[in-house]
Amino acid sequence: MRIYLDHNAGTPIRPAVREAIAEFLASGLHGNPASVHRSGQYARRELERARARVAALVEAPARSIVFTSCGTEANNLAIVGVAPASGRRRIITSAIEHSSLLAPLAQLERHGFEVIRVRPDCDGTIDPEKVAREMDDQTALVTLGLANAEVGTIQELTPVAETAKRVGATFHLDAVQAAGRLPLAVDTLGCDLMTISAHKIGGPPGIGALYVRPETALAPIMLGGPQEAGLRAGTPNLMGAIGFGIAADESMRLRETETRHLTELSQVLLNELNRDIPALHLNGPRTKRLPNTLNLTFPDALGETFLMALDLEGIEVSMGSACAAGAVEPSHVLSAMGRSATEARSSIRISLGWSTTPEEIAIAGAVIPRAWRRVAGEAMVEARA
Amino acid sequence: MKRRVLVAMSGGVDSSVAAALLCEQGYEVVGVAMRLTPEATTAGSRRRGTCCSYDDFEDARRVAEKLDFPFYVVDLRHDFQARVIDNFVGEYLRGRTPNPCVMCNREIKFDRLWQRAAALEADFIATGHYARIECDDAGAYHLMRAVDAAKDQSYFLFNLGQDQLARTLFPIGMATKNEVRARARALGLVNADKPESQEICFVPDGDYAGYVERTAPALTRPGRIVGQGGAVLGHHDGIHRFTIGQRRGLGISSEAPLYVRAIDPNTADVEVAARDLLNAKGLVAEQVHLVAGANTAEQFKAEVKIRYRHPVIPGTIRLTERTRAEIWFERAGPAITPGQACVFYRGDEVLGGGMIQRALEG
Repeated sequence: MRIYLDHNAGTPIRPAVREAIAEFLASGLHGNPASVHRSGQYARRELERARARVAALVEAPARSIVFTSCGTEANNLAIVGVAPASGRRRIITSAIEHSSLLAPLAQLERHGFEVIRVRPDCDGTIDPEKVAREMDDQTALVTLGLANAEVGTIQELTPVAETAKRVGATFHLDAVQAAGRLPLAVDTLGCDLMTISAHKIGGPPGIGALYVRPETALAPIMLGGPQEAGLRAGTPNLMGAIGFGIAADESMRLRETETRHLTELSQVLLNELNRDIPALHLNGPRTKRLPNTLNLTFPDALGETFLMALDLEGIEVSMGSACAAGAVEPSHVLSAMGRSATEARSSIRISLGWSTTPEEIAIAGAVIPRAWRRVAGEAMVEARA
Repeated sequence: MKRRVLVAMSGGVDSSVAAALLCEQGYEVVGVAMRLTPEATTAGSRRRGTCCSYDDFEDARRVAEKLDFPFYVVDLRHDFQARVIDNFVGEYLRGRTPNPCVMCNREIKFDRLWQRAAALEADFIATGHYARIECDDAGAYHLMRAVDAAKDQSYFLFNLGQDQLARTLFPIGMATKNEVRARARALGLVNADKPESQEICFVPDGDYAGYVERTAPALTRPGRIVGQGGAVLGHHDGIHRFTIGQRRGLGISSEAPLYVRAIDPNTADVEVAARDLLNAKGLVAEQVHLVAGANTAEQFKAEVKIRYRHPVIPGTIRLTERTRAEIWFERAGPAITPGQACVFYRGDEVLGGGMIQRALEG
């Protein structure tokens, strides 16, 4: 039996989504939404239905949603599509953003942009006043995550939205982890751009979206076709979009129930682990945190070995971001929060999701401390050597 | 209840077939690749013939996928740097010739990875080494040469002790290289015909001197090449470019062939001499380890290997301290290279060994 506790990396597909995709496959709908003929028109109709559903998730008009292949592509589009064309040279972000924001920003930095990476405090909170103070009339873009993928910290960014508006900077929110968990009304949040991703909300992988406020100056990065109002060339992933739309519906419908459910389950698990593991440390704030995310530093345990030991027992969690060759690097988020290298290397992220059951949490609560005791033995020897 | 074995997989055919054999024999196999060197990990930096690159992990991973066992990459770069690479560079700078594979087995595979295996509740650790382990009626473990004499790697494993041998498996020690490749082909493994890595895994181009120069540029310095009697015959760019017994690449001309006889790290002098002056009567070994654990006899006879690709020489081993020994050859021996491993054999069995500190002139 495998117990999946890595929902921040991706969620299982919701039953309603699975049905919708199966229906699409059975329907024989095959047209290219960009084609002139009737088959294309039917396909286009389905695409637009999906678009409207996704737009409802962020309370925006349907035409402001641009479908992409994933959240990473949407983040790249937000950054590379805005900054170079803006005529300004300054970009504000934070040190704890996802690599799909940090990497294109680093690229722009190499090409002469000034990138300011605001540091978080010790629980991952980004002070919005600090961000606002960095903004001036040379600021092209402010880009921040609404909820952090590693530790789950929920950011309060109203002052940032207000200042961005005042100085004429574009405000982009990475809402990939917030979607399905927090309300995402783009007007309330005051953002010009927002990234979301289907496979984090029970939709299929291979499709994301960028919300683009009308009148926002954005240049496409995928060129060669008129799709998505000229903002993203390429035949869209229609099957994925349909799944994304249903996932958006379900997430909205179930958000409050699931939030209550996950808050309870994660608390049960945390209590159990705290009882069995002395000096266990929760990374991230106690309250302003995604209810499903538990990033924990396990004393004297080498995270890499702990991950393997848990996997061999059927518990699937993660730590940091995996590099291409599969060996694990410690989290840059924890480092930015002031954790030492040792602490970062001893930290594991447990993230619950829509499919997590009380039975799974009960088993995890028993298995995790047992595995920790075995793994902690190894690290002690390491310290002596 | 299946017994769990952690198989160290390099992505090469030997460790892959070792894993396959263990699957067939009913073990619960867990494949582990060790990340040892700071190689680039992107697909754009493909370089064949190395170890620990993105490609090599992929080959190992595909074998695990095909045979359906879990596969992980374990990051041991920090330890490898401290215990193997630093030792390698340091030895060259001290005028010695290191043997990093011996170090890696002692410090990484059968130490750090060993601890990992214990934490993961593995009953055994396995590798694709050509060597064998036998257990006698009294429950003592013996490390033996492989069946394929040309591929035998028992030389590199002399630091294994009873505890380790009890929990180690060498599945391909009974096979020849040809049999291993044939088995890989029969299993449809991707790396059946993959060329072997001939070089040290962290110096894939074989340019050890260049590696030392890049790693410790401030510590290499030029010096003199001196003959018998102190005559200065030439100059060199660093003692790390030389090994005892070396004849070529000296950059000097002479009537009779001259060989490197000694390297002095303090003066940076490289002493050369005629061949017959290199023959040593014996050697002093440090960090001596005996596979059986204890040794009651103060001295014993054995066949001694002073280099991997060198025939054994009969000799007498006399332990002067628990981890120090004098080895006297029965007849005048070859040139002795400090830094290399000296391994004691009795027939097919490895009794133990040590690191060569210096030659004994008699």
